[in-house]
Amino acid sequence: MLKKLYLVFGFGVLGLYTTASMLGWEVANSGSHSRLGVPFFYSGFHGGK
Amino acid sequence: MSVLQANCPSCGAPIEFKAGSTLVLVCPFCRSAVARTDRGLEDIGKVAEIVDSESPLRLGLRGSYNGNTFELTGRAQMKHELGGVWDEWYATFSNGWVGWLAEAQGRFYLTFYQPLPQGVVVPSFNDLQLGQVISEIPSQTPLMVQERGHGTTAAADGEIPYKLTPGELFAYADLAGKNNAFATIDYSIEPAWVFVGSQVTLAEIGLGDAKPVQREARSVAAAAASCPNCGGPLSLTAPDKAERVTCPNCDSLLDVNQGNLSYLKTLTPPVGAPDFVAPIGASGTFPGGVEFKIIGAVARSVTIDGMKYFWHEYLLYNPTVGFRWLVHSDNHWNFVEPVNAADVETKFVGDTTAIFNGRTYRIFQDAPAVVEYVKGEFYWRVEQGETVRAIDYIDPPLMLSQEISGNEINWSAGTYMPNDQIEKIFGITGLPKPWGVAPNQPFTGRFYYTWGALPLPLLLVVAVFMIPIAGLTKTVENEQITLPPLQNATTPQTAFSQPFELKANRNVRITASAQVDNSWADLDIDLINDQSQEVESVNIPVEYYSGSDEDGPWTEGDKASDATLSSLPGGKYQLKIEGTWEKWQTPMPVQVKVEQAVNRGVNFLCAFIVLLLVPVFGFFRKFSFESSRWRDSMFTASGARNSSDDSSVYSSDD
Repeated sequence: MLKKLYLVFGFGVLGLYTTASMLGWEVANSGSHSRLGVPFFYSGFHGGK
Repeated sequence: MSVLQANCPSCGAPIEFKAGSTLVLVCPFCRSAVARTDRGLEDIGKVAEIVDSESPLRLGLRGSYNGNTFELTGRAQMKHELGGVWDEWYATFSNGWVGWLAEAQGRFYLTFYQPLPQGVVVPSFNDLQLGQVISEIPSQTPLMVQERGHGTTAAADGEIPYKLTPGELFAYADLAGKNNAFATIDYSIEPAWVFVGSQVTLAEIGLGDAKPVQREARSVAAAAASCPNCGGPLSLTAPDKAERVTCPNCDSLLDVNQGNLSYLKTLTPPVGAPDFVAPIGASGTFPGGVEFKIIGAVARSVTIDGMKYFWHEYLLYNPTVGFRWLVHSDNHWNFVEPVNAADVETKFVGDTTAIFNGRTYRIFQDAPAVVEYVKGEFYWRVEQGETVRAIDYIDPPLMLSQEISGNEINWSAGTYMPNDQIEKIFGITGLPKPWGVAPNQPFTGRFYYTWGALPLPLLLVVAVFMIPIAGLTKTVENEQITLPPLQNATTPQTAFSQPFELKANRNVRITASAQVDNSWADLDIDLINDQSQEVESVNIPVEYYSGSDEDGPWTEGDKASDATLSSLPGGKYQLKIEGTWEKWQTPMPVQVKVEQAVNRGVNFLCAFIVLLLVPVFGFFRKFSFESSRWRDSMFTASGARNSSDDSSVYSSDD
């Protein structure tokens, strides 16, 4: 049973590697994700009046 | 000679010599051995009745060998000098051949008289050496002395083709060769006669349907026996074969002589020896579908470096198959069967390797094994203190053992059996867990560095195929951007690149080069998706220092540095570069390069390491397992004697 589980795991890793290579997923060495803020004058705030 | 009808010279009853080769006939009425001589019939004395046994053979049975039919017309029962009896069946062939079918411990040997070439004689009994090859005997395979000893003609029945003398002591030697070749030298005649043949199965000689005689009456009689020491009841499973039995009530060792018991001594278990875990009388079906019953148990020991190590051997019995052993050592189990000594190849006694059935076994132990304590019944005259030289060779899960006593060399093959298998065989649970690693215990984790490592080579194959599929590295943007001087040391300057196109499903590498010399620049670069305004930010510090000292010129750092991002959605992007640098009063030219489908090998390396972990762990386990195995050996795995065992268990004159 353990042997079958290990083989499933091994082929799972292989599948993950193949998928990552196809989709360009990378264990990146840097980078952080964000989104640019909407410019203040488009926000609809007009001085609180 | 021809068929002769006559009257017994002792009792006058009618007797008939059916086979022309018969020399002696046992009168079925008065049990006199009647010899046919040139002068007529001669009464050469009374013979004892055959000891009832569970032999599947009986007088009158017909079989065939090499296309020739035969009938069992006579039977002689011999007593071994160390106890026990064996049967010699006289096979009269239809074509006039005379064959002997010996039956001992459930094995059968069919032999025929083999005249030696003119002038050739076999070595004398006293000159015979155990293990010696007797080249004087014509045979297709070399025949080696396996046993030399004395026997006594104990009983007979039917017609016998030689002048059997009741009670006669004779010397003999048994020889064995490859492919079940077998021979006997009979030293009761001068010069000695040689009988050559082979070990056979009953099926091979057309007696496969012969069934063991049901010996119910005998068992009942045996069950009624009582210990001559304490009077307690005891029973014998194989009374015809038993030579020793212990009383379960008072622990007396009793001698068995044709069913009569006599007290020898009271046994005491040795100090430090573990108790027997399997009960006498337990039975179970072993691999091969043969049901064996435990009829005896022996505690044996070996002393190494002053330390006594114990193990147990259970004697198994099946009326058709004979005797086998179940060895229990450190809570590990082995099923042991006898093997033909001639089928085992060693250069000398105590050789570092032995070859059997095409497998090479390595020496593991060579020490005197001593019988410490016994329980149950035995087919030989077992004694406390009985010592043999025991040499074990291993090729897991098999073990080949050689036991050398005064007149005999025996080889046996043991097969390792896991505890759960033993529990299943005997229908029990809770056997104590094994300690350490047994000499021939197989390593069960081999899978993890053999078939279990299959994903590793597959990973290499996939990696090679993925290079063209994932695409080769392509530069999508390469531009020099000059950042104006800073207003102060801490307020960064910002610049934007030209827009460029990124493709989906490809990683992104941003490389920045700055003209720094013994200074630094710190660049925060944002990769902005023009459509979604999603931003991926990376920090790329660039620093480069150089100089020279007493060791010569040196450099540190690099004028270029990079950062890699996982794949991003395809579309138009722009770089926003925000930088500070050490020489902030001067402008900073920065070369930025954006590449896609960069093959860094990081994914491959991660997958490789993950997949390598288990095989490497498997190898370590194997190494540790083998270290534990050989730690208990007197030898190394290469066959050299362990340095810690320099003090051999044998004295120099052994």
